[in-house]
Amino acid sequence: MIEVQNLSVRVGDTRAVRRVNLSIGAGERLGVVGESGSGKTMLALALMGMVPDGLTVDGVIRIDGNDLSRASETTWAAYRAQKIAMIFQEPMSALNPLRRIGDIVAEPLLVHQGISRNDARQKVLALFDETGIPDANRRLQQYPHQLSGGQRQRVLIALALACDPSLLIADEPTTALDANIALRITDLLVRLSRERQMALLFISHDLSAVSRTTEDLLVMYGGDIVERGKTRHLLASPSHPYTSGLLSARPRIEQNAGPRRLPTIPGTVPSLFDLPPGCRFAGRCDRELPICRATIPQPAATVSGGFASCHLLNQPSQDQTGQAPR
Amino acid sequence: MRRGAIPANLMVGGILVAMVIGVAFISTFWTPYPYAELDIANKFHGPSSAHLLGTDQLGRDVVSQLMAAAGNSMTVAVLAVLIGCSIGTALGLLASAKGGWVEEAIMRLCDLGFAFPALLFAIMLAAALGPSLPNVVIAIAFINIPIFARVARASANQVWTREYVYAARASGLGNLAISRDHILPNIAAPIIVQATIEFAVAILTEAALSYLGLGAQPPSPSWGRMLSEAQTLMYLAPQLAIYPGLCIVTAVLGFGLLGDGLRDITDPRLSRQRRG
Amino acid sequence: MGYFLFRRTSGFILTLLSVSLVVFLVMNILPGDPTLSILGIESTEDARAVLRARLGLDAPLAERYVTWVFHALQGDFGDSYTHGVPVISLIVERLPMTLSLALSGMALTVLLALVLGITAASYHKRPGDWGVMLLSQLGIAVPAFWLSMLLVLLFAVKLRWLPPGGFPGWDDPRAAVRALILPTVALAVVQSAVLARVTRSSALEVMRLDFVRTARASGFSRRRILWGHVLPNALIPIITIVGLQFAGLVTGTIVIENVFYLPGLGRLLFQSISNRDFLTVQALVMMFAAIVVTANFLVDIAYVLIDPRLKARSR
Ligand SMILES: Nc1ncnc2c1ncn2[C@@H]1O[C@H](COP(=O)(O)OP(=O)(O)OP(=O)(O)O)[C@@H](O)[C@H]1O
Ligand code: SF4
Ligand SMILES: [Mg+2]
Repeated sequence: MIEVQNLSVRVGDTRAVRRVNLSIGAGERLGVVGESGSGKTMLALALMGMVPDGLTVDGVIRIDGNDLSRASETTWAAYRAQKIAMIFQEPMSALNPLRRIGDIVAEPLLVHQGISRNDARQKVLALFDETGIPDANRRLQQYPHQLSGGQRQRVLIALALACDPSLLIADEPTTALDANIALRITDLLVRLSRERQMALLFISHDLSAVSRTTEDLLVMYGGDIVERGKTRHLLASPSHPYTSGLLSARPRIEQNAGPRRLPTIPGTVPSLFDLPPGCRFAGRCDRELPICRATIPQPAATVSGGFASCHLLNQPSQDQTGQAPR
Repeated sequence: MRRGAIPANLMVGGILVAMVIGVAFISTFWTPYPYAELDIANKFHGPSSAHLLGTDQLGRDVVSQLMAAAGNSMTVAVLAVLIGCSIGTALGLLASAKGGWVEEAIMRLCDLGFAFPALLFAIMLAAALGPSLPNVVIAIAFINIPIFARVARASANQVWTREYVYAARASGLGNLAISRDHILPNIAAPIIVQATIEFAVAILTEAALSYLGLGAQPPSPSWGRMLSEAQTLMYLAPQLAIYPGLCIVTAVLGFGLLGDGLRDITDPRLSRQRRG
Repeated sequence: MGYFLFRRTSGFILTLLSVSLVVFLVMNILPGDPTLSILGIESTEDARAVLRARLGLDAPLAERYVTWVFHALQGDFGDSYTHGVPVISLIVERLPMTLSLALSGMALTVLLALVLGITAASYHKRPGDWGVMLLSQLGIAVPAFWLSMLLVLLFAVKLRWLPPGGFPGWDDPRAAVRALILPTVALAVVQSAVLARVTRSSALEVMRLDFVRTARASGFSRRRILWGHVLPNALIPIITIVGLQFAGLVTGTIVIENVFYLPGLGRLLFQSISNRDFLTVQALVMMFAAIVVTANFLVDIAYVLIDPRLKARSR
């Protein structure tokens, strides 16, 4: 459905996203985790053709076989909403405050599908039903400021689903919500993806949300994908020190509804402009090797059946049993 | 924008302003001809080496008139803005220092000032006081009072919350002394920016009032009055309708750009916005 | 909503009263005996006393103010000294001219400003943006009366496409519209220069908001996003300035009417000033100030109609 090769987003001389490869098929659910500033949103925006002005995108983005890496804004616009849709981090401000909810969700239908107002209204009611927005008839007439955060996020999902996209990108859809509501939203996304055979790219820095939602997982750091694999196996036996760091910094994984705050690894994400030339995690990594700083590690197979980019994996002397499944 | 580079508007504005002020200054002791010297025999001359921009309907030298008019225009603007700015700033400082009903009363009075469009107020004053340049100064000064009172009060209110003001207060300085020693120096930047912009407005207002016959009276030269005379001669000597207008635009544009430029470099909030 | 309306309305009435007081005071306590200027210095003291009594000038100031306000409320501004008819009939006769000019000027101002401002914002930091900003910087610096003269020079004197001035009245609508074109353009160019800048910066602010990204992610065209989503949200500051500009526009008509010899209130004001017809001047200044204050009041109310969040808060 969507296939990405060697995707980079350049910010001046450095890159906010570095040579990313990924592909998602119909009904597949892929997660992306990483600390704040690791390039998750930038990756998503690149897939929408919406990176901020002044940044450039290299590589190949293929949607249904069509290469969009050099597409114009108008071409991209034809894919957005109808092929790929996206919901954003901030449900509070992501809706036009001057429009009624019903008009907001109906707009893409009217614009892209050219259906009548009445049909659009029926479709909006169906979408509200599907996304679990109660009291749909009344909601149509309400303004965004009259809704709670969770309701707004559902409206955003309904809006994204309006034109039946084949891929939905959800960028930290639950960060701004409290725990219970967040759980319901993630469950809703999984259900929708199953029922509609819709691909889902789920971005989060919350490992428990990712583990509930996705089958495959990418771990990002400093714009790189440092580890990838099946979500379940990867989280059970992480190979990259950064993934382990994320996991151990997480207070409790046993409880699904456990604390969902930012995991913290000692140190801070360095600015894009002073990343080390080799492994970008060098300097914060507790198992750093002499070669790490200078040489970029290549992806290598991991015990969990995925790949990780870390020099440790290429060290024959390295004892990997410490990383065995718990 | 490179750090340390002078922004374009500041530079262009500065050059234009320097030109206009320079000409106005020179006109106080030298113009090619006495500006009011009649020479009916040589009326409506085109540009020549004797008269760079030609002569008008009474044979007066256009360049000399434009230069003298620059002098008048600058004098009116300087006086009007200076008076309005001093009184307005004093009121704004007072409002900020006293707070309570004093502040409320001063600000309500200012609101009232804003209810009058500047030109209308000037027309009313000029109509009541009679048409003359000094009355134009009074009218424009009046219009400026509430503008500066607002700017001064808003900026002063911010400064009052700073630590060194608390320190000064702790050392037993009175409110008015603090206003003079600590607040005033710290609100100078926004006041100067505003003054530059109001200067441009004053030039425009003087020109409009003189054009309408409420400002400079003959033979006192003024760009606005030159234009109103040229208007009756538009079919005969259209060029006379061009030069004074260009002078007004140069002066107003100069002060406008200068004010914008000054604001850009002194107001970190605005320039951060622009970078964002 | 009710309380909000009440508060705004009482503030409005208070401002009107204060404005009337200022107008009255400026016109009545400043030096100069109006009868002296009307009758001339050679007039006898007796003749002046008679006129003073006729104009009601011998009563105490406060009483005169109250009488003036009460009569004005009933539409009676006294009789014009020069025309010998009630001032109000002069005003009513000329109001349509001024209103036509002000409204057409406002319409063109808003149209120009929105198009230029939104265009500039959508080309932010590119030549289109700089071009619009330069134009508007120039537009602000050009005096309206000079621009009028240039327009007359070009379109009336040189090309002879349009009349250089005067107004034939609405009986001949074609001629009336032709006569209004140049004054309208002169009025609007200067005003829209300011408004275009406000539109641009307000639109730029809105374009950074998240819902604009949502609209883009919905695959809407650039134009739909700018005009359908950005502009409505950018309107609040724009409307504020439109309200303030209405003041500039109305006073602008005073100047423009005098440039183009249009028989409106502005021209009447100047004729009355030169005729020392001080009751008429006083009434006209009050009229203009009242129009401005009313415009600002309407703007205050318009906010609430535009923004549902304010409507909720103002209840
Ligand atoms: N407009 C921009 N210009 C230049 N650099 C940018 C821009 N926007 C973001 N960046 C940089 O790109 C990098 C990746 O940011 P991104 O927003 O993708 O992170 P993220 O993983 O989504 O973080 P978060 O969890 O906070 O959303 C950061 O270093 C950020 O500073
Ligand atoms: S490559 Fe070296 S620094 Fe980077 S994660 Fe592996 S061990 Fe740590
Ligand atoms: Mg993000």
